[in-house]
Amino acid sequence: MQTVLNLLEVEPIRLLISFGAVLFLVLNLAAVLTMAERKVSGYIHLRYGPNRVGPRGLLQPAADVFKLFTKENVSPGRSDLWVFLGAPIAMFIPAALVWLVVPFAPDAVVADLNVAILFFVAITSIGALGVVMAGYGSRSAFSLLGALRGAAQMISYEVPLILSLLGVVMLSGSLSLVDIVRAQGDTIWSWYFLFQLPMFLTFYISGIAEVKRVPFDLPEGESEIVGGFMIEYSGMTWALIQAAEFASMAVMSAITVTLFLGGWQPPLPFLDLGAFNWVWFGIKTALIMFTFQWIRWSVPRLRMDQLMDLGWKVLVPLTLIWLFVTAGLMLVFPSLGA
Amino acid sequence: MTITLPEGDLQSRLERYFEGLGNRHGLEESEIINNVVLIVAKKDDVPAVLATARETLGILHLSFITIVDREGSFELTYELMDFRGATVRVKTTIEGDEPVIGTVTGVYPTANWHEREAYDMFGVAFAGHPDLRRPYMWQDHFDHHPLLKSFEISTKRTFEGLR
Amino acid sequence: MLGEERRAQHEGALTEPPSSRLVSPDIRDEFGLETIDMNMGPQHPAMHGLLRLILELDGETVVRCDPVMGYLHRCQEKIAENRMYPAVIPLTDRLDYFANMHNEHGYCLAVEDLLDVEIPPRAEYIRVLMCELMRLASHIPSIGFLMLELGAFTPILYAFRERERIQAIFEEVTGARMMFHYIRIGGVKADLPPGITQKIWDYIESLEAHFQRDFVDLIQGNEIFISRTRNVGKMTQEQAVEMGVTGPALRCTGVDFDIRLDYPYSAYPELQFEVVTDTAGDVEASYRVRIAECLQSIQIIKQCLEQMPEGEVMGDTGRRIRPPEGEGFGRVESPRGEYSVHVVSDGSDTPYRVHYRDPSFCNMQLLQEIVPGHYLPDIMPIMGLVDPVSGGWDK
Repeated sequence: MQTVLNLLEVEPIRLLISFGAVLFLVLNLAAVLTMAERKVSGYIHLRYGPNRVGPRGLLQPAADVFKLFTKENVSPGRSDLWVFLGAPIAMFIPAALVWLVVPFAPDAVVADLNVAILFFVAITSIGALGVVMAGYGSRSAFSLLGALRGAAQMISYEVPLILSLLGVVMLSGSLSLVDIVRAQGDTIWSWYFLFQLPMFLTFYISGIAEVKRVPFDLPEGESEIVGGFMIEYSGMTWALIQAAEFASMAVMSAITVTLFLGGWQPPLPFLDLGAFNWVWFGIKTALIMFTFQWIRWSVPRLRMDQLMDLGWKVLVPLTLIWLFVTAGLMLVFPSLGA
Repeated sequence: MTITLPEGDLQSRLERYFEGLGNRHGLEESEIINNVVLIVAKKDDVPAVLATARETLGILHLSFITIVDREGSFELTYELMDFRGATVRVKTTIEGDEPVIGTVTGVYPTANWHEREAYDMFGVAFAGHPDLRRPYMWQDHFDHHPLLKSFEISTKRTFEGLR
Repeated sequence: MLGEERRAQHEGALTEPPSSRLVSPDIRDEFGLETIDMNMGPQHPAMHGLLRLILELDGETVVRCDPVMGYLHRCQEKIAENRMYPAVIPLTDRLDYFANMHNEHGYCLAVEDLLDVEIPPRAEYIRVLMCELMRLASHIPSIGFLMLELGAFTPILYAFRERERIQAIFEEVTGARMMFHYIRIGGVKADLPPGITQKIWDYIESLEAHFQRDFVDLIQGNEIFISRTRNVGKMTQEQAVEMGVTGPALRCTGVDFDIRLDYPYSAYPELQFEVVTDTAGDVEASYRVRIAECLQSIQIIKQCLEQMPEGEVMGDTGRRIRPPEGEGFGRVESPRGEYSVHVVSDGSDTPYRVHYRDPSFCNMQLLQEIVPGHYLPDIMPIMGLVDPVSGGWDK
C-alpha cells in the first residue's frame, strides 16, 4: 500500500493518473450534461424531461451512449475522410486539455503551471480548427456555411475573452490559476466578479460564444442550416462532437469560476470545508453551467452580423475601458493589487 | 408608398365601375348582381379591360383566376376586388383545344402564380408571361394537364348507382 | 397599434436596410466572385411544411430565391369533382390544416350561394365562434413557429399548450381534434353540447389572464428578437398589394383590409371588433398584428357566447344537395388572409369544378420578391411574416 502511494508521488505517473481521472470526470460530465440539459429544458418548457429510463430518468445518458455506440457512422460519399473523421477528435482534444490546469482544490491541480492562463488561452484557440475541419471535410454547402460562421465567430470572440482576463491578471499579479484563486479574498464580496463586473460579463458572454451555444449558435443554426458544421455526422462521431461541446461548456464554467468567483473558496469563511472545498468549486461550476442552459432556452439567436457587432463594437471597447479603470484604481489605491 | 383605398358609398362605386368598364370596351354583357359587377368580355380584350380596372378605376386586388373546362372551350373568371366591398368579375371564353390568352401580369403582378397554376392544371398558355413553369406537377416527363376533363383518375364516380 | 412607446425606445436597432448589402454585379465580375447555388430542401426542420427554396447566395446574402412547391399536392380540386357536395367538406378540412374551420366555412358559403338556402342565426353564431377559436389556434402557434425559427425553443411549447386546450374544446364540440367536418352545407352538424359554453368562457378568461405574460412579455421587448425582426422583410403597401398579399401580412403594412368587415358574411355584421394594422411592414409588425388579432378574437368569442341566439342549427337544404346550374362564390377571412372558393355546378350531384384560392399560395409570391438582399438567416423570419401552411399552398 505504501509503495503504491509513494509511486503516486513520482512525477510522470502522478500526471498520467490524475489526468486520466480528470478525463474520466470530463467524459462522464459530458454524459450527465446531456441529461441535465434535457431535464432543465423540460422544466422550463413546463414539461418533464426524460423520465422513463431509471428513477426519474437518471439512467438516460447510459441509454443514449449505448444507442450511439450501436449507430452506424455515416459519412458523405465525396467527403475528405481523414479530415472528416479527424474533426471530432480535433474538437475534443482542446476541450479536454484545458482541464489540466483547472484547480479543483488548493493542491488538487493536475498541472500547476505558472502560465496557466496563457495555456488556457492558447489551447482554447485551437478549438476553431476542429470546426473548420468538420465543415470542410463534409463537403456540403450547409456545412461549409456553418464552418465559416463558426471560424469567424470563435476567432472574433477570443479577443474580448482575452482582454477580459487581463484585469484579473493585473489584480492578482500572476498568470497562475492557483495564485489567482488565492488572491481573491475569503469572502464573496472580495471575489473579482464584483470589482471586475464588466470583465466578468464579457468573459461570460464570450464564453457562451466560444462554446457556440444559443444565442451564439449560428454555426450550428438549427433552423436554417440544420446542424451547420456537424450536419453530416451521426453515431459516435456526432457523440464525440457533442461531448466536446459539453466539455468545453464545462471548462468555460470552471475557468469563469476560477477567475471571477473565487475557485474553491467558500463564500463566507465559516462555511469552509477544509479538504472538501472542491465541493464549493463543483457547486459554483454547476451554477454557471445551469445559467448557460437557462439562457439557451430563453432567448433567440443572433444573426451573424449582429453577433460580430456585439463582439467587436461592444465587448472590446468595454473591456479596454475597464482595463484602464482598473489600472487607474490600482495606481490610486495600491492595496488593491496583490 | 402608401396606397389609397376607395371611399364612398358602395352602390355609387359599383355604378362607377359598371360605367367605366362598359364605356371603354365593347363588352358582350355586363350587369350588377348584389355587389358584383359581372362583365363578359372577348378573349382578346381581357388584358385591356383589366388594365382599365386597375389604372383608371383603381381596383387594386386580383383575387383569383379560375378556369373551367367546358369540354371544347375554356371559361376564365377573373375576380377583382377593390378593398371596400365591391367586386368586379370578368368572364371570358376561349374556344378550342389549344387555349392561348394574353397575360395580365403586367397589370396585376399577383397574376403571375395564378396563371402558372392555370397553365399547369389546364394547359392554358399565357402569352407574354415572364416565367411560365409548372408550380405543382413535374417539370419534365409530364405532358398532361391534370384538371382537364379528359384526364381520368381512378376513383371516378364511386357513388354512381348507389341511390 | 401595440407598443408604440417601446418601438420608439428601440429606434435604431442593430440592422440596416438590406438593399445596401448586395454586391453589385460589376464588382462581382471584377473580383471573380461566384455565387453558391444552394437548396433549402423539402426536408428541413423549419420550412413550414414541404417547401424547396432554390437559393443563390453571395456569401451569406441571398441573390435569388425561388420557391418550388408541389411536394404535398393532392389534386383536391380534381377529387372534389368526383364527390358529392357534402363529401367535399372533409377534403377542404385538409387544405390549410391550421385553419380547418375557415376552409369548411368558405366552401359551405359557396355552395349555399348556389343553393340560396337560409342559415339559422344560431348556426351562424356557432360558425363564427368556431372560426374565431380556430383563429386563436392558428395565430398562437404561428408566433411560436416564428420564435422557433429564430432560435428560441420555449414559446412554441407554450403556444402548443394553448392549441391543445383549444383542440380539447373542439373535440368536445365536433368530435375531432383536427379534421372537424363540422360546418355543413346549411348550418353546422350538431348543436353545441351542454356545458361547453361555460368551458369556453373559462378557457378564454384564463387565456386573457396569461396571454400577456406568455406571448408578449417574453418576446416583445427582447433585444435579440427586435434586432432579428425589425426592418427584416420590410414591404411597402404598394408592394404588398401588387403581390396580392392579404391577411396579417397585408395589414402589417398599413392597409386595413379585413374580409370580415369589408365583405361581411355570416354573423360578423352583428359583432363589434376592430381591424388591427401596423405601419412598419416588417416581421416585427406582423408579429404585433397577430398578437392584437388574438386579443380581438378573444373579444369576438366573448360576444358570441353572450349573444348566441337559440334555435336550430341546420337550414332546410332538402335531403339531397343538388344545386341548379350556376356558380357560387364564398369568401372568408382565414388566419392567413383571404380564402375564396369558386364552385361551378352543372345540376348534378357532384360539383363540376371547385377552385380554392388559398392565401398561403398567393402570399408565397412575397418570398420571390422580398427575400433577395437579405441574409440567409433572415429567410426564416420572413417566412414567419408570410406564415404559409403547406396544405394551403399545395392544395
